[in-house]
Amino acid sequence: MMRILALLGKELADLRQNPAVFLPAILTGFFSILLPFIVAVIVPNVTGERLSDSSDFEIALETYRTEPSLRGLDPEAAVQAWIFQQFLVLLVLTPVAGSMSVAAYSVIGEKQARTLEPLLATPLTTFELLAAKVLGSLVPAVVLTITCFALYVAGVVIFAEPGAFRALFTARSIGIVFVLGPLAALAALQLAVCVSSRVNDARSAQQIGALIILPVAGLLVMQLTGNFVLTVPFIAFLALILAGVNAALIALGIALFDRESILTRWK
Amino acid sequence: MLVASHLTRRFGDRIAVEDVSFELAPGEIFALLGPNGAGKTTTLRMLAGLIRPSEGRISIGGETLTSGNAARLRSRVGFLTETPGLWERLDVRRNLLVYARLHGLPHPEQSVDAALETFDMRGRAREAAAHLSKGLKQRVALARTLLHQPDVVLLDEPTSGLDPESAREVRDLILRLRHERRIVLVSTHNLDEVERIATRVAILRSRLVAMDTPTALRARLFGVRVRVALGQPGYRFVHVLRDAGFVDTVEEGTSLSIAVKDAAAAAPQIVRLLVEANADIQTVTAEKPPLEQVYLKLLDQS
Repeated sequence: MMRILALLGKELADLRQNPAVFLPAILTGFFSILLPFIVAVIVPNVTGERLSDSSDFEIALETYRTEPSLRGLDPEAAVQAWIFQQFLVLLVLTPVAGSMSVAAYSVIGEKQARTLEPLLATPLTTFELLAAKVLGSLVPAVVLTITCFALYVAGVVIFAEPGAFRALFTARSIGIVFVLGPLAALAALQLAVCVSSRVNDARSAQQIGALIILPVAGLLVMQLTGNFVLTVPFIAFLALILAGVNAALIALGIALFDRESILTRWK
Repeated sequence: MLVASHLTRRFGDRIAVEDVSFELAPGEIFALLGPNGAGKTTTLRMLAGLIRPSEGRISIGGETLTSGNAARLRSRVGFLTETPGLWERLDVRRNLLVYARLHGLPHPEQSVDAALETFDMRGRAREAAAHLSKGLKQRVALARTLLHQPDVVLLDEPTSGLDPESAREVRDLILRLRHERRIVLVSTHNLDEVERIATRVAILRSRLVAMDTPTALRARLFGVRVRVALGQPGYRFVHVLRDAGFVDTVEEGTSLSIAVKDAAAAAPQIVRLLVEANADIQTVTAEKPPLEQVYLKLLDQS
């Protein structure tokens, strides 16, 4: 554990010296926050049309008749609450986008900088090395997610209809942001670190990000069109699957990490 | 004691190292010489527990290196890689501190302070590694290599690319390790450096071509010779020495080169014979062909 913390400390110190690497994540977070405000607040204000007058949002009003904590909301607040809750899925993308480049460079970057060999010459085990590398990109990503969520809530409190923010504190919302988000990020980052330890080019590892972004984007579209509702039991089910995937990825990462190939075949 | 026994390493069909054996004792500085691609770095990596030998065995302090204990035995080895491999954005202190913690040192902060003091880097401790000169980077890398007080120190071309002053500093540090009774194995192309620091030399070309002290290697290849510089032409005295049993006496202008069994024992007799023959002796020295000549001859023969 001490060795994981030692290397994690180095990873975080290195990131502090190079904050620009998180610019893509900050931009993704910013647009994830901005988009629902455009739909729920800015567009209705500009056009002068209330969202609750549109039959397109009938599903929102239906949903909130069954949600005890939101039953008392007026129709406009209910539609806004529904929109803000649906877009929470986008916040799940933020940590992944943010950490993907960090994770992708984690092993290949050390190799290219010729810092990997001295590191491998220490008592550090493969599990410790990979754990520190994954945490080194996950920790900042989770911090960023929490920051984005705090800003999101603050924005909803300030700009949306009174009470709409309550939708962000349901079990469903909290489950998406604080359980599914980090678990999905962990899986994506582990995959990126695995790939980073097998390829000669960090770009190959970075492309793995698409694998996680596509299903999340699909989930968002399905929810918005009313074809699918991310319920609490389904979130719990997904969380279990992701936990299993993460456990499998730890074993896979250790099996794939071949010290000898990395040292002798990479140029 | 570091023991390498019949080490062989193959990469596919290519044999990088073949049947290499040696034993190193504490306080020994062992130089590994050989052309590029001779297997020097592969040998060091095997000894550092980074790659497994295809055949053969390594033991450190009586314990055989296996995949099961490699992580633990790595803490008894310090490996200076060919390039310093510092984290460029981090300062010198942080670079060392991470390694102190990775080695599980009980007081990492104090260990780093001590290393900074020993390597005269205290004033540069807060500087990012990227801002250091090549010589200073190598010094930090050496400090990192020795931070955990390893019994075995493996140095891969430690003075490569350094200016003469920095190279001398590194050599002094290596000599200090000898006094601390550590086992030091240096891979290098710098024969002058080997001459200055090594107690034993091995010449590697996938297989061990030769292994001995520099003096013994010279004696094996060129024999032991005494050179006498004279104030007169040397040919006048050749017969004097040959008649006295020094059959292999060669005249070179005003010098004589005489093959002997033991330079120290033969020199007084040679001097006496020449003085009796009225020779004007200026200097008497043991002939010492440069190590480069020894190295090239051994490689030619291999």
